[in-house]
Amino acid sequence: MVDEEEQKEYRWETGYEKTWEAIKEDDDGFLEASVADIIQRAKRKRQAQKQGNSKLGMMRHLYVILDCSDSMSSQDLKPTRLLCTVKIMENFIEEFFDQNPISQMGIIIMHNKRAEKISDLAGNARKHIKAINNLKQTSLIGEPSLQNSLEMALRALKLLPSHASREILVVMGSLTTCDPGDINTTILNLKSEGVRCSVIGLAAEVHVCRRLANETGGLYNVILDDCHFKDLLYQQVDPPPAALTLESNLIKMGFPHQMSVEGTEEPLTMCMCHVDSTDEGSKLNTGGYYCPQCYSKYCELPVECRACGLTLVSAPHLARSYHHLFPAANYDEITYENQTLICFACQKNFSETDKQVYRCPNCTKIFCINCDIFVHDILHTCPGCATNLSTFQIAHNTTQ
Amino acid sequence: MRVNVKGLEVLFPYDYIYPEQYRYMVELKLNLDASQHCLLEMPSGTGKTATILSLFVAYQRANPNTGKLIYCSRTVPEIEKALAELKKLLAYYDKENEKLVSFLGIGLSSRRKLCIHPEVSVSGDGATVDSNCRKLTASWVRAAAEKSSHVPLCNFYEDFERIGKQSPMPSGVYTLEDIKNFGRDHGYCPYFLARYNMAFANVIIYSYHYLLDPKISELVSKELAKESVVVFDEAHNIDNVCIESLSVDISKKTLENSLRSLSKLTEKLSRIKSQDADRLRNEYMRLLEGLKEANINRATDIHMANPVLPDQVLEEAVPGNIRQAEHFIAFLRRFVEYLKTKLDAVERIESHNPKSFLLYLRTEVYIERKPLRFCSERLGSLLRTLELANLDDFTSLGLVTMFATLVGTYDSGFSLIIEPYDDRTPTIRNPILHFSCMDASIAIKPIFDRFRSVVVTSGTLSPLSMYPKILKFKCGSMRSFPMTLSRQSILPMIVTKGDDQLAVSSKFDERADIGVIRNYGLLLIELCKVVPDGIVCFFVSYYYMESIVASWSEHGLLQQILRYKLVFIETQDRAETSLALENYQLACKNGRGAVLFSVARGKVSEGVDFHHECGRAVIMFGIPYVYTENRILRARLDYLRHEFFIEENDFLTFDAMRHAAQCVGRVLRSKTDYGIMIFADKRYSRMDKREKLPLWMQEHLKRNTNLATQDVVNASKVFLRDMAQPFTLVAKKTCQKSLAWDCDSIRRGSVADPECGALAVTRQSSRGRSIS
Repeated sequence: MVDEEEQKEYRWETGYEKTWEAIKEDDDGFLEASVADIIQRAKRKRQAQKQGNSKLGMMRHLYVILDCSDSMSSQDLKPTRLLCTVKIMENFIEEFFDQNPISQMGIIIMHNKRAEKISDLAGNARKHIKAINNLKQTSLIGEPSLQNSLEMALRALKLLPSHASREILVVMGSLTTCDPGDINTTILNLKSEGVRCSVIGLAAEVHVCRRLANETGGLYNVILDDCHFKDLLYQQVDPPPAALTLESNLIKMGFPHQMSVEGTEEPLTMCMCHVDSTDEGSKLNTGGYYCPQCYSKYCELPVECRACGLTLVSAPHLARSYHHLFPAANYDEITYENQTLICFACQKNFSETDKQVYRCPNCTKIFCINCDIFVHDILHTCPGCATNLSTFQIAHNTTQ
Repeated sequence: MRVNVKGLEVLFPYDYIYPEQYRYMVELKLNLDASQHCLLEMPSGTGKTATILSLFVAYQRANPNTGKLIYCSRTVPEIEKALAELKKLLAYYDKENEKLVSFLGIGLSSRRKLCIHPEVSVSGDGATVDSNCRKLTASWVRAAAEKSSHVPLCNFYEDFERIGKQSPMPSGVYTLEDIKNFGRDHGYCPYFLARYNMAFANVIIYSYHYLLDPKISELVSKELAKESVVVFDEAHNIDNVCIESLSVDISKKTLENSLRSLSKLTEKLSRIKSQDADRLRNEYMRLLEGLKEANINRATDIHMANPVLPDQVLEEAVPGNIRQAEHFIAFLRRFVEYLKTKLDAVERIESHNPKSFLLYLRTEVYIERKPLRFCSERLGSLLRTLELANLDDFTSLGLVTMFATLVGTYDSGFSLIIEPYDDRTPTIRNPILHFSCMDASIAIKPIFDRFRSVVVTSGTLSPLSMYPKILKFKCGSMRSFPMTLSRQSILPMIVTKGDDQLAVSSKFDERADIGVIRNYGLLLIELCKVVPDGIVCFFVSYYYMESIVASWSEHGLLQQILRYKLVFIETQDRAETSLALENYQLACKNGRGAVLFSVARGKVSEGVDFHHECGRAVIMFGIPYVYTENRILRARLDYLRHEFFIEENDFLTFDAMRHAAQCVGRVLRSKTDYGIMIFADKRYSRMDKREKLPLWMQEHLKRNTNLATQDVVNASKVFLRDMAQPFTLVAKKTCQKSLAWDCDSIRRGSVADPECGALAVTRQSSRGRSIS
């Protein structure tokens, strides 16, 4: 009985997060190490869930459906659910386009039993971030209607060509949905159209969301706190396995080049992306990317040509998407028993504090945790495998 | 998997076994070995049925002289579930190539459920099907059909009689549907087929009433072998079933119907007298000899005792004054008329015990006790002699004779109350005679006496010590098995006050307080905000529910609830309730969310499961005490105090708590399920109430015994988030590995498990004591 008294805090205390309890001083009395450790562990966990070897839907078309109903004003995420969501969403959008340069995204909000499109499908991160930021001012009223929003997203996604992956991501704070008809038929429609719907719940498990996700092959998760929310949202950054209905097509793409003729100054022109935007206005400037087909000018890539409809990308964009297809193999965690003195990548000496080290299954080189994360998060190639031709080929043959 | 239970190899049709299931098996095995009765509590959703069945089948295989397993459950769906489980077990035996020599498992239900006759089966309610069936299958009808070909018969029954009885049913497990199909294929009557084959079956699964109700058990169950083992599943209400089966309510309508039947009998009698006087003479001779045959059967233990057929009746011949049919009818008429005047004359509520009532009978209408005792039996004999098939015309008369027999037989254990009007309608005169049994042990005594082991089990039996007392049996062992969970999937909480610190309670003098009503309403609103999908609320009575909902509506609380969830209400009308339930489940499934208001002790609280999204939270508003001003209850409480030394308050609390536990227990139906359980009344936090909850709820109650609304909301939020985290297959498997045992760990576990070891020791010592 006494033990139990000590183990469990009082009821009235559990409403608060005791983040400090997870942090422990290391031997020298420093806290940083343990904080970093927690973060790295979390990262590694996400890393470990990735798996290669599957066909991926790389040209993603994602509709984000945001709940803007009454329930988003709840303060269980600080400062409010909506503000927290907006902040995390901003980062998510950037990360999304960073990792999926040839993808497009649109945003729908649901409030007052209606669905409202606040930004159309487009590949421009800045526009979406602006739209999301404007949400801070919207009034949160009424109940959401999941069916209306799904139908709206479906109408837009239906028109896409068959090689594009169609996805919907719902962020749902409310526990109820106010629908005009039977939502099950909508779910069936989504399923037959091959739209993958994932749901992130902010409060508790709702049956219809679980059903929606299970039926359409998406993920359904409920957040524990804001960190977990971020993790769950970032799961959506990696492209999902391609749906079976997805066709493999050859896609025509343009690789625009900057016009530069030796010795002559580039003429001042207006770019196509800002021609009819009201708030920023279009300026005459030099430089830019020209569509190889119709010579329209754009100031940033990737973009779909407004004049001829060609998808314009740059080679690094494609390369960045490429690593999803051939991820570096996950390293095995092993306890450090003086296998080697230094980390193969950064040449750091292993010390007493390194309890775990990481070994590549292909080249059996040993790495420290920092390099492990760096390799898998940013580099996407194992330095050990890359320096040795035979293992490099093994790695690529096995993943292909 | 194969489990070694104290030297008995049990084939268990699942890949893993939970520790509580194993402990249950050990306990059951020890009780079977010692041939004693036991009381076992294990939460619903832990696979109780599979545990019992697999242990018993293995036990029977190892000890062939063990009798049948008679598995009694409450409702038809539960019977079907048990049969499906048995089928699975048998399939597993086949798969493992462990042949069972001719194993037969059958379920039995009413004619209405089993009839396949094209005309009879569509005739609607149970009583009509029964009587239509009898019109086609009674022995005299069949005798008449032999003489003339115009008398209609049931071909299914005829075929069964001619051929079906010769060849035994092929071994296997027959669910109700299977037996119907078997009947259709072979042209046999499934009902009689099932009844006939009960004698050969290894496992019989049917409803309580076939064993407990004297009218039915006389027909169906009296020939069951002494060595059999009886299991009462979902037995938390068994005392009420026993009491109801021996209680009689007689209204003026009953009496008028009886008189009408009596006239019909007279008419028939005079007709027969002119045609076939021999028949009556034969009956007379038979009655003169008495019921010797029945007596012999009972003495040699072929038949089970029947509380409506007391021993004295068997030993003596039918008294002279009712031996002649006309005399008997006149006697009954006098009795019925007397009851009628009694009902007419009543001004205030009168209460008698059987003895004083008998005294009145003797002084006022000269009816002696002895002939009364024979009434029920004598009527049966007369109806047989007169060859009356449509017995439903005589149900009222049957009730009256049953009353006569009971009142003539038992000096104590019954009470007789005559009320001039119903409590609900105090202005309309509607006199009723309640002859109610107060001693649950009378109906169940023959079962405890006859069968080697009786197992009483349920998910909510706490407090266990009460049952042996009120059912008067020697209990070999009482155990409550807690549930092992891979995560804390229930969250029981006791709410004692609202956010304004005003205590909430359904206590009679506080329940009308507007503060209490508002706090209850606010609790529900707050929960509606945080709990997804379905919430079920239980109130203590229909009356209280109506008044509180009206008050909520008046103060705008109901409108607030409606913003988050739809509201459905259980009413006393069955059709309305089932419609409400259906829509409630629909609303839970399509994401709108719903609240169901229902009443403890109502239909919903007993028979409907709210698994997964249909019940994420249950709120019990108040303590469901039974209506204490009821005179029948008063009489029963007095009786319990005098006879069993159970304090009035103890019994009331026991009864209330088992109903509360039963209500909130509806939410958790399997191990993957989860739910919040809220007891909203300040009185729950008292120790005497709390400790009467089932052990598995108490375990999780921890510190949540004195909360205000806001605490509940906070705790629920955290709980729901935790429970929503993926419980994936991988996680499940690892959990099962750590929680459930495979064969090896049991071999080790049975040695290492200190609890089981200790258990065996204490049991031995208790047995030693009982011998000395």
